[in-house]
Amino acid sequence: MNENNPVPPLISQTDAAQRLADKPNPPLAISPSGPRPLGDDPAERVPIAHAFAAIEALLRQPRRLLFQLRQPGAGKLIVGMLFVAFFCAAVYGVVAGTFSGGTQLWAAPVKIALGLFISAAICLPSLYIFTCLSGAQSRLAEVCGLLAGLLMLMTILLVGFAPVAWIFSQSTNYIGWMGFLHLAFWLVATLFGVRFMKNGFSHAQAKSQAGVNVWIIIFLLVAVQMTTALRPIIGKSDTFFPTEKKFFLGHWFDTLREASENNGTAHRY
Amino acid sequence: MVTPLAPPRSIGAFLRAEPGRFYEWVMGQPSRLAGFCLVSIVIGAGSYGAATGYWRNPTQALYTGIKLPLVMLLTTLGNGLLNGLLAPLLGLNATFRQTFTVVLMSFAITSIVLGALSPVAWFIVWNAPPLTGRTNIASPEYAMLQLTLAVFVALAGVIGNVRLIPLLRQWAGSGSVARHVLLAWLMGNLFLGSQISWVLRPFIWDANRPVEFIGQDCFQGSFFETVFEAARRVIFL
Amino acid sequence: MARSTVSAPHARPNVLKLVPTTSQPAPAEFSTLLRGEAAAISAWSTEWNARRFASHLVIIFLGAGCYGAAMGGWRDPQQALFVAIKFPLIILLTTLGNALINGMLAPLLGLNIPFRQSFSAVVMGFAITSAILGAFSPLTAFMVWNAPPMTAQAVSLPVYNLIKLAHVGIIMFAGIVGNARLFQLLVQLSGGHVLASRVLLAWLSGNLFLGAQLSWILRPFIGSPELPVQFLRDGALHGNFYENVFNSLTHIF
Repeated sequence: MNENNPVPPLISQTDAAQRLADKPNPPLAISPSGPRPLGDDPAERVPIAHAFAAIEALLRQPRRLLFQLRQPGAGKLIVGMLFVAFFCAAVYGVVAGTFSGGTQLWAAPVKIALGLFISAAICLPSLYIFTCLSGAQSRLAEVCGLLAGLLMLMTILLVGFAPVAWIFSQSTNYIGWMGFLHLAFWLVATLFGVRFMKNGFSHAQAKSQAGVNVWIIIFLLVAVQMTTALRPIIGKSDTFFPTEKKFFLGHWFDTLREASENNGTAHRY
Repeated sequence: MVTPLAPPRSIGAFLRAEPGRFYEWVMGQPSRLAGFCLVSIVIGAGSYGAATGYWRNPTQALYTGIKLPLVMLLTTLGNGLLNGLLAPLLGLNATFRQTFTVVLMSFAITSIVLGALSPVAWFIVWNAPPLTGRTNIASPEYAMLQLTLAVFVALAGVIGNVRLIPLLRQWAGSGSVARHVLLAWLMGNLFLGSQISWVLRPFIWDANRPVEFIGQDCFQGSFFETVFEAARRVIFL
Repeated sequence: MARSTVSAPHARPNVLKLVPTTSQPAPAEFSTLLRGEAAAISAWSTEWNARRFASHLVIIFLGAGCYGAAMGGWRDPQQALFVAIKFPLIILLTTLGNALINGMLAPLLGLNIPFRQSFSAVVMGFAITSAILGAFSPLTAFMVWNAPPMTAQAVSLPVYNLIKLAHVGIIMFAGIVGNARLFQLLVQLSGGHVLASRVLLAWLSGNLFLGAQLSWILRPFIGSPELPVQFLRDGALHGNFYENVFNSLTHIF
């Protein structure tokens, strides 16, 4: 063995076991050196009774929602938030469906709402693992709650954008433009949702946001690919699901090419 | 009375552990920690492998689901002796069993990340058009699939190795020793792992062969010969 | 005494309760609005007053309507009537269409005001813009009256471009002043320039985005001598403003 090997500087096994046995569970709130602990304002401790209160809290008192998501029995709140997200996604889907009308009026909401939830379900395991790797002291239920918050904020904002999307849906028949518009609205809404989620993780003793940042890229890619996997969402088609598998970049290029060849009136998306 | 430190009870506890905690696990009950890592590798890398192989068919999914954890375990075993020798030579006071456990731990973290990414990988694979007439090896769809899967493996590998640095630094009491040890292990594992992967191919889809656990020509050539040959062709045309 | 005076600049919303919010006579309120007395205006925005809201709507209809009439008057009296209706309509539809998203963006960006308050703040901003436009309408009408009748020849003369540029300049000026007043109000509500700028930028982006498309749908405004006088063009709902801009750019390059 190399003579220069230093003596292991770490504590002994027995000391370590004793120390860990005596050590209390890490607090869920953050340390005094970090951001202000959740729940230090009495207003943040007021329970959130129903879905509308959750919407109000998400927009105006996000810290209250973050605090309530950490409390025992937050499952009901999370289910309520997911219900709001599903409903709002469906509402936006109806608006997206008005571009083509007909069967798309029910197909688009179904696809948008389901697609969003499937994307979230696909990405949930990686979100949990990346938050653990960042050192965040969040339970799986809390991670689910933050993801539900992301979805709810995203879909609420999409409902806010819905009147604008509807006006454009009625006044243009260029599918490339509508696709771009919906993606732009979705991106803006997602960025706000992601900001809420990152804010939540900053209260969970996370040492780094790198894992969450990587996850955001993965989530964006999955959600964008989902729009291609469930196409058409805004255009028309004879079948509910696509008959051909494609990646989103290839599909978008094909759509834009077809649209320009057909004088901007292609109705396949 | 002080009881020996129990190994991690959950994936969350394992991933969130501080370097000190890792050290205590390695020192305390390495066999139980190794068991935990083994299960993590089999499930994590197995599910990622299954998602990858599913592109071709469920049988290929099963085969790749077995082969990917096998690559990791065989690499750990094959390099176990070398890694155990290199560590003290480079300044890390660790026994053979400890270095073996630490390398296994790194692969376990990599596998857990791969397992978490397996639903995403499966979704990407599900969206990729099959490797038939229209889609071939030169298609952008195939390139996109390969690239995504490779990026996920690279990401998981980087995370698995980066997580070792604080532990090795604290253990060795020196940042440079930790870096040297990790680099040495990494090079050895990459070298052997590449060749084991070559032997156990195909992982995704070999369009020229039926579905089989290991290709008939598995022991013909090597990964490095192929790379060398490709480089020679590029340089000398 | 201090309790009855206007609150200090950068005061937080709760301080605004100290400002007297009793109704003033409509002309006095109008001049307060135009002077951009941020404290008083922010106090208005904290409480809902149907009469005051109606007066802001009247300002929008009169101001933007008069300017629209002057704008359309060059083509035909009927065109003047149409544009007098359409111009305020664009403002109101933009406000309504973006009300929900504007109301959500304000708290998300850090300005915790209720939905109604953000709505009335935007309406007040547009009311100031409309008032300025209304003030310019006699000037515009005089300019149009002095211009040669709108014929195919006149369109090729420099006067046509001059009138177009004058409209752009006046609308831009009114818009800038209206938004500057809105900014002062937001500073008062938020207590900081950074937050106020952020909210204003978000609102402005949304309003410009939707407003441009609504203007495109509700065209024509100045009118064309070669086309009949119409409330909406035949293909009003075909294509959009941004598509048109994109097509123009591709033709140029």
